Amino acid sequence: MAFDDPLDRPRAAGGRAPDVFRRGGWVPMREYRDSEPVDFVIVGTGAGAGTLACRLAEQGFSVVALDAGAYFRPLEDFASDESEQTKLYWTDDRIVDGDNPLQMGSNNSGKAVGGSTVHFAMVSLRFRPEWFKSRTLLGYGADWPIDWREMWHYYAEVEDALKISGPVTYPWGTKRPRYPYRAHPLNAAARVLAKGCEAMGISWTETPLATLSAPRGLAHPCVYRGFCVTGCSTNAKQSVLVTWLPRALASGAEVRDLAMVGRIDTGSDGLATGVHYHRAGQWRFQRARNVVVAGYAIETPRLLLNSANDQFPDGIANSSGLVGKNLMVQSNQAVWGTMEDEVRSYKGPPSLAITEHWNYDDDKDFFGGYAYMSQGPLPQLWANTQLGAHGLWGEQLMTAMKDYNHVAGLKIVGETMPQERNCVTLADEVDQYGLRIPRITFSLCDNDKKLIDHSLSFMGQALSAAGARNIWAQEDDTCHLNGTARMGDDPRRSVVDADCRSWDIPNLWICDGSVFPTVGGVNPSLTIQAIACRTADRIHQMARRGELERLPAARPRRVLTPSA
Amino acid sequence: MKRQSLFLLCAGIGAGAVTLALSRRQPAPPANRIPARRDLSNTPQHSSGTVRAARRLNRAAGLLATSVLADSGVEHYRGSFKNRAMFTPLIVSGATLAISAHGTADMRPAAHRVRDVTYALAAVTGLVGTGFHFYNVGRKLGGFSWQNLFYGAPLGAPMAILLSGLIGFSSERLRESQPDEQQGPEIFDLPAGRMLAAVISVGLLGTTAEAALLHFRGAYHNPAMYLPVTLPPIGALLMAQVCVGTRTRHVAARNWMWLLVAMGFAGSGFHAYGISRNMGGFANWSQNILAGPPLPAPPSFSGLALAGLACIDLVREHPDA
Repeated sequence: MAFDDPLDRPRAAGGRAPDVFRRGGWVPMREYRDSEPVDFVIVGTGAGAGTLACRLAEQGFSVVALDAGAYFRPLEDFASDESEQTKLYWTDDRIVDGDNPLQMGSNNSGKAVGGSTVHFAMVSLRFRPEWFKSRTLLGYGADWPIDWREMWHYYAEVEDALKISGPVTYPWGTKRPRYPYRAHPLNAAARVLAKGCEAMGISWTETPLATLSAPRGLAHPCVYRGFCVTGCSTNAKQSVLVTWLPRALASGAEVRDLAMVGRIDTGSDGLATGVHYHRAGQWRFQRARNVVVAGYAIETPRLLLNSANDQFPDGIANSSGLVGKNLMVQSNQAVWGTMEDEVRSYKGPPSLAITEHWNYDDDKDFFGGYAYMSQGPLPQLWANTQLGAHGLWGEQLMTAMKDYNHVAGLKIVGETMPQERNCVTLADEVDQYGLRIPRITFSLCDNDKKLIDHSLSFMGQALSAAGARNIWAQEDDTCHLNGTARMGDDPRRSVVDADCRSWDIPNLWICDGSVFPTVGGVNPSLTIQAIACRTADRIHQMARRGELERLPAARPRRVLTPSA
Repeated sequence: MKRQSLFLLCAGIGAGAVTLALSRRQPAPPANRIPARRDLSNTPQHSSGTVRAARRLNRAAGLLATSVLADSGVEHYRGSFKNRAMFTPLIVSGATLAISAHGTADMRPAAHRVRDVTYALAAVTGLVGTGFHFYNVGRKLGGFSWQNLFYGAPLGAPMAILLSGLIGFSSERLRESQPDEQQGPEIFDLPAGRMLAAVISVGLLGTTAEAALLHFRGAYHNPAMYLPVTLPPIGALLMAQVCVGTRTRHVAARNWMWLLVAMGFAGSGFHAYGISRNMGGFANWSQNILAGPPLPAPPSFSGLALAGLACIDLVREHPDA
């Protein structure tokens, strides 16, 4: 038998897709012909796309989801090896510039079926309710066109769909329902955070995580292996790959792996007609009644801009001129120190304890907020951190690495302000598919820098109070990407409406982190999935009322039998 | 300071228990009693039912001790026997199991000194162990928070060996009591059957609390996890009825105790299934038995329920007991 390399040949083909829960197993998959206009073709399979694919397929729509990445089998394909697992990151050519050029890859983008949720740190937090109206209530950024109470409903749905393991009661903000699973045991690194918070007189809690603290179906509970951010090999991690996508397949959706979408076509009526995609060595065209773009905040605007045509010379869905604008990362600075006792922070999920104190306390001299969490860097990452921050190499690096088991750190996920100068544009260079590559321009503003300074100073005190020595600050990291196709109430000042529907092209939808008007100080994955669930419900309602282009009203529910 | 006070509390509980146990060794002989209680030639007239009930209690105590031996063995091994005191429940429950076997086989209507001492020791171990477990949880950062209740030493677990000791000790008292026409067998001058019923009722509630906490930790992810938190409290209620009621047949209580016996053993089966759902299943038994639900814990319910059955028999034969 030939070696089955998921990066070499598509796995989801011939009427079947990999069964992520059984070694070598397959699940039946319905397949559609390129010429057959499907109700929805979805670009991507990550937090936004996978969730939406599942919910739309369960409503009876015909759905094809395309992903440039491979269809991995977590039980077989994931090694306890940092280098090997770089296969999960999107490391295609990109140009980065601005005052603070972003480091692309591990911390902010994935290339796999399931998207970057396959290697995300599983931190599943809700926005602070006020952030949905941050312009009106807090005086910065932009208001969301969605009410927080509606989001609270969808957060609960996603938390249940992922069986989030969280604390029995959450110390901050509006009441939320109990997390479906209980929190994991804290590791020593998390206890360092807790000790620091107690000393500083602020609250802390166990981080709500999308990894199982008890069995669920065929997924095993977490074994605290610690390689979470390089891909979970036990399926404890509730990534899109093992949650929404199996449901989507069971409901008749088709997933095409190793399928890079290069262009969206529009017809003479100005509506989208389908997507051009590259798979198995050739360009193909999938016809569709609706197109959903969910490639995350770099690939989404890149695809919209690359789809420019005579009718839409500045890129499609771009009458506002905002496609690619307002790119927001999250600041990801850290303080590190050495503890007297062994910490072995790599044991268990990396961020087991959290404080959201500075997300909910407004007594500060900057806009926005930040959360900080305990850390568990794997050894290679830690060596890289030492190299990057201190220029250590050779003997000095070896000596520093001997303290690895004693290192504890605190790292923020901090809000950055939306700025139009931070943007994704197209460079002239092309990638392996012949598509123009993105140029990513990013600069921190004064408010962003104030927030970072505040966090480093506070975390330094907390770490010191917890008993750490040799404390130093890592000042250069960022994570997560959002906001290059923002949603809003006004077609002139936003790309999509509250339903993630393009103002310009009514059968084009954008459903990922790109639609965020602001990012808040929490990891975005839960919010992306909640928005996808909301979008699915809105599509359902609009379809029933006959308000969707090219979709007849009240479509009968299909019988869910995968075709051979 | 916090540590010290907790440690003192734990030592205090232990010392109190020892004092109590010692004082019970020298009861003032009631006027109507024959003092030479271990003199077989002087054996009081027992109904054979009393000895049978006592032997059944020995058996129930033995089952509880088995559960403790296996459970504390696995869990304390998991804790790497970090503190040497963690060997204590293994030794004590092992000894309790041995003397319970001896008691189950022993037809003589008299208490046995070695059994007596061992059962008392088991009860004291349960109390001291509870103190240790409270100390372990209380000294952790966050104190008696959910995190520490879930993942620190289980507060209720040592109570199982306490119950084993109490039931065994009661069995010995039963053997040596001399029922006359006016009254049935007694334990510490209290009607034996009714006192035992109270102990079992409280024991069932305590064990339920332990299961409730740990099953809450598991988020009741399997509906079967509700069984040990719903069935035993009903059993506790029925045993409370045995304790205070006037009727003697107690058909419902009897059937319910058999249900709990079955539930306890079925629980181990469910826990085995739980272990199999961890990565690698039983092929990776050496890790998964430690990581999964505790295999030997559920039969504590069976042990208590068996004691309940013995107790109901006693009340049936001696309505005043």
